[in-house]
Amino acid sequence: MAKSKLPVFPSETLIHKITHLMHDGMDARTSGEFEIPPALGDARWTDELILSTWHMAATGTLPDNLNYKTGESNGGFDRLDFKLLDEEQWLKHSEDIKTSIPLNRRGDHRKKLSPAIPIYGGGMSYGSVSVNVMMSRAIHAKNWNTYMSTGEGGYPEELYDCRDHVITQVATGLFGVEEKSIQAAPIVEFKYAQGAKPGLGGHLLASKAGEEVAKMRGSVPFVSLFSPFPFHSTYSVEDHSKHIDWVQTINPDALISVKVSTPHDVDMVAVGSYYAGAHIIHLDGGFGGTGAAPEIAKKNIAMPIELAVPKVHKFLIKEGIRENVTLIASGGIRTADDIAKAIALGADGVVLGTSDLVAMGCTRCSNCEGGPSGRGCPWGLTTTDIELQEWVQQEWAVKRLDNYYTALQWRLRDILRKLGLSDVKELVGRTDLLVYTRSDLK
Amino acid sequence: MKNAEALLDSRRLMNSRLPKFELNEDDAAEGGCGVVGLACEIPVAGRHLFNSLEQMRNRGNGKGGGVAMVGLDHEQFGVSPEILKNDYLYAVAYLDDSVRKDVEEQFINSNFDVDHTHEVPTMENWQELENLDAQPPNVVCYFIRPKPSAVQKFLSDGNLSESDFPSKKAMWDELLFQNTHKLNVEYYAKEQRADAFVLSHGQNMIILKIVGYAEDVIRYYRLDDVTAHVWIGHHRYPTRGRVTHPGGAHPFGQGVDVALVHNGDFSNYVSVKDYLGQRGMEPLFFTDTEVAALGFDLHSRVYGYPMEYVIESLAPTGELDFVMLPDEKQEVYEAIQKTHIHGSPDGPWFFIIAKADGLTHQLIGITDTSMLRPQVFSYQRGEVGIAFCGSEKQVIDAVLESLSSEDKRFWRRCDEYWNARGGSYTDGGSFIFDVNPDEKGGHELTMSNKFGAIVDTHPEGNFEIEPAAMESGFDWPSEWTAIDIFPQIVSTFPAFDWPAARGLLSEIGSHASQHSRRQAVDLLCLLLNRKYDTGTLRTSRWLDCVEDAIMGILNHAGTTPCEYFSGQKSPGHLPEPQNPSQAIVVDARPYPIEGTESLARELVALYRTGWRNFVVTHCHGHRFIGNGFGMETSDVRIDVFGSVGDYLGSGSDGMTIHMHGNAQDQVAQIHKAGTLVVHGDVGQCYGYGAKGGRLFVQGNAAGRPMINSVGSPKLVINGTALDYLAESFMAGDPLEGGGFVVVNGLQFESDGEISELDTPYPGGNLFSLSSGGAIYVRDPTNVLSSSQLNGGEFVELTDADWDVIQPLLVENEEHFGIPLARLLTVAGEMQPPSAVYRKIIPLKNKALSVEDSWAGKH
Repeated sequence: MAKSKLPVFPSETLIHKITHLMHDGMDARTSGEFEIPPALGDARWTDELILSTWHMAATGTLPDNLNYKTGESNGGFDRLDFKLLDEEQWLKHSEDIKTSIPLNRRGDHRKKLSPAIPIYGGGMSYGSVSVNVMMSRAIHAKNWNTYMSTGEGGYPEELYDCRDHVITQVATGLFGVEEKSIQAAPIVEFKYAQGAKPGLGGHLLASKAGEEVAKMRGSVPFVSLFSPFPFHSTYSVEDHSKHIDWVQTINPDALISVKVSTPHDVDMVAVGSYYAGAHIIHLDGGFGGTGAAPEIAKKNIAMPIELAVPKVHKFLIKEGIRENVTLIASGGIRTADDIAKAIALGADGVVLGTSDLVAMGCTRCSNCEGGPSGRGCPWGLTTTDIELQEWVQQEWAVKRLDNYYTALQWRLRDILRKLGLSDVKELVGRTDLLVYTRSDLK
Repeated sequence: MKNAEALLDSRRLMNSRLPKFELNEDDAAEGGCGVVGLACEIPVAGRHLFNSLEQMRNRGNGKGGGVAMVGLDHEQFGVSPEILKNDYLYAVAYLDDSVRKDVEEQFINSNFDVDHTHEVPTMENWQELENLDAQPPNVVCYFIRPKPSAVQKFLSDGNLSESDFPSKKAMWDELLFQNTHKLNVEYYAKEQRADAFVLSHGQNMIILKIVGYAEDVIRYYRLDDVTAHVWIGHHRYPTRGRVTHPGGAHPFGQGVDVALVHNGDFSNYVSVKDYLGQRGMEPLFFTDTEVAALGFDLHSRVYGYPMEYVIESLAPTGELDFVMLPDEKQEVYEAIQKTHIHGSPDGPWFFIIAKADGLTHQLIGITDTSMLRPQVFSYQRGEVGIAFCGSEKQVIDAVLESLSSEDKRFWRRCDEYWNARGGSYTDGGSFIFDVNPDEKGGHELTMSNKFGAIVDTHPEGNFEIEPAAMESGFDWPSEWTAIDIFPQIVSTFPAFDWPAARGLLSEIGSHASQHSRRQAVDLLCLLLNRKYDTGTLRTSRWLDCVEDAIMGILNHAGTTPCEYFSGQKSPGHLPEPQNPSQAIVVDARPYPIEGTESLARELVALYRTGWRNFVVTHCHGHRFIGNGFGMETSDVRIDVFGSVGDYLGSGSDGMTIHMHGNAQDQVAQIHKAGTLVVHGDVGQCYGYGAKGGRLFVQGNAAGRPMINSVGSPKLVINGTALDYLAESFMAGDPLEGGGFVVVNGLQFESDGEISELDTPYPGGNLFSLSSGGAIYVRDPTNVLSSSQLNGGEFVELTDADWDVIQPLLVENEEHFGIPLARLLTVAGEMQPPSAVYRKIIPLKNKALSVEDSWAGKH
């Protein structure tokens, strides 16, 4: 690589942004009242979506002057809309509308968990994000009686304070997996693949695998860490069933979530997972985020979640087991409208990852690895750099997440109200309430 | 075949007259499986597979079970020996009995002379079998010979002549094949009617299968007393839950005279299907096993390839193994691969095939070249020879347990157990067991490998045990400890005959009851685990006696506890320890293999009651032993006897585990701290994601040991590993406390002497893509080459390295009696460590540059 082609880091813009924030505070950029910064967002996560997320995180309300519903990708969720009832048929009060969903539908002896909202937090490992970010998400999950996942990087000691709201992830590298964190977990999540990079495993650069990260993962500092793409102990559904038995030997009370990406036979994968003992089938579509996934993989391998969810939903019905399993969608869900659409397509609930980060100040600058310095995110999110991570103060971040979810719940209830539904569970699989919007009809 | 192309043309013609069936998207789902196969010199009754299959249910899900039998008993089918030998046994499953008359009219009576019709007896009420959702089909066996008129019609319909075939039998085989295809089209595939289909077509062999577990096949079809020389039992685990007809269950009998099962699935089903389609074969059952059965039949019967080439076409030799083959083999294999690669199943699989080959009854096990499925081979040869292959050791031992309880010619332990290395240049990772008639009117078992070389299955030593003598003649001192007395016993043992040897066991037993159970058990464990010269005695039978003696002592612990051992009065009984070092003996047999009531959970409950020392006996596939104890268990010790299941010692944080015998798969996954000693071999994927601790293996590890390990795990393998050792190893620098693997590359001779393997590591992938840690290989003659490394490099062993590995080798000596001095001895001469061991470290830039570059861009 020729030296001249290396990006200058930090860039002029970045220095400007950071100086501005240092002077005016993190909230200064969030209202959307100011000029929209150039180069913010893309067609899927538009500038308006980022700014509305910031607005919601700052105020707990929806913005008036920004499109907080859809992006401009010309496909998927952005081409779906709701068949709302006429105004006189709308429910009067939205605050009574139920948004809680049961996660254990197998009817076994294990915990009956019901988060207050059909949303929980997706896996972001310690190492890929800081303890501050993890703790903020965990405290926020506790506030909302929901959950967040550790990702594959171990279970920082601080998280035990929120243990009833922390999902322990077991992923292919088995980093940081130990019996203690499996025993602490209300839900154990097997990550077979990530929608953003199915079949590619994971990789944490040596520069980010510093002292603390390595300790958590049981590794040695500054050795590059790989997660293989398969579980080497799991090459068939029979192994998968054994794998689940293993975790249940360690913690017989935990619910089992199986996170898979969306290959063409995802329906079969889902059914196999159910019969192997899963309570939650978590489908991760191809539009999920991660700064570390190769560009070539993102959006190009896995099926979009908008296609995978109905495919799986219908197949589970055909097999007669839809009522016994919780179907969770993730991978490119950005807004309350997306959440409602995913549920209408057949999911019971959703997992958010990127949206949480945006609420905490992510600008979608794609600089998650932090450029040549390798220090990580300039906003202190995807980094364990001792200086950078201080950008995200727990109290502040929890407040922003809480605000954001307040706005999400408000909007979700607003949609349900206008569809005449008093419970989010009534929306599941109601594709008849969706309409496809063609660009030529705009 | 003389004219294979003419034959395939005739199939194309046939297909052109038949409707087409397209793959329904939901159909091709296949999952894992559990399988056991055996070949025996005497007929074996179905009941002996019963426990084996029941204990392996966790590898299936009750949605498909089947058995295959070759070498039947003519009386049990109501025919003469001549008819059994000369006729085809055409087994038809009727899911709807009303079609039987039409099927017989159209496809049986019109084309064949029927010498006998045998209706397979069944249980009266299938609903008594609680795991069955659907009634199994009625099965009718027709003993048939093709009619001359049907042969003429077959030839003219297919534009064939008799000269296209090398023999009449070959011609009839194809007639049979096409008849079956047409029957299956008409009564199975057409309009998805699934009213009837052919289970198997061949001589002296039959397949039976149901929607259920395989042991229910034995129950339902009343096979308890039905005998065969070759058996396969198979549990299927189809991914989807609703399966209503047994057509997709294994074994598959598409090949004439052949029953094929497989464990795993193909990722290139469509490619193989298309390959077969180009050769006039249309799958009707739409599972990957069906295409495998068709492919095997094509290559072996139609193309007439010798077994070696058939195996090569299924499991192409690659990488280092290919290079190691002789030039002339490389040439043939390359041609096979170029021609048939699209028909070669890709993905995890393990095939077991039962074949009737004239008077020979055959069992074939073929391991896939990536070794992604669990498999164990074994044999025992006493007065009767018997050979096995199966998904795990316990399913083999369960058959032997059952056989030996009825027939004193068998005992409970095979002479040899091994994991095959798929695609190996030495044996091909494939073994063929032939049961041939011998001159005395009996049968003889021989084993050959892929290359046709006969493998010696005649271990030395007298297996005919005799009662114990009153005195062994061993001069017991008044006081002894196990470790001191053991060498004295070993030095006199070669002179012992059976009465003396069993007398010795009685004397140790008396010592246990009169003095110390602890000492007696310790000594017996040394006799069980260590390798030594057993003189005139057959080693495996002697070890069976030793283990029996240990069990005899430990079984009393429940009723008469002592200072050292206590036990449970019944399952679920949680007594309290009388002293901190007292061990609780837990008989595994009453406990489920997994689940909330499992043995593993019972051990956790006992741990919470205060127990720290455990002796687990009579395992038969029990999984997850030592799991669930939580963190900081350095005061725990578990001794395990029997055929343990998967995940032994996974997640250990400090405990000590001794496995007295071979261990299974996924041992020591995420092992964090503590010591795990396996007095035998370990299975697949040992130490996956391990973080630390000390691990010792007396023998070999199968595929993928220590994959994805990080931190500081330290492992000694005294034998070798099949392949992919320490792939993606990410431990720290061994010289700074990081992890490493020592491979000694040794084997034990039958007299207990240690010798070097031909190569300390036969695989083509050693330390691939690793980013940290090191491997120390005992390779004094530099057999290993850098071509086996993918991202690693050889470096000189320094004194600092030796300081790190020497203490581990000292501990290794304590566990296995493998002297450190012997390790440093090469050709009789003591050498410095640097002349014996080679060190491999990761070659950082090369392995990571690609990854780093894409990750670094962002």
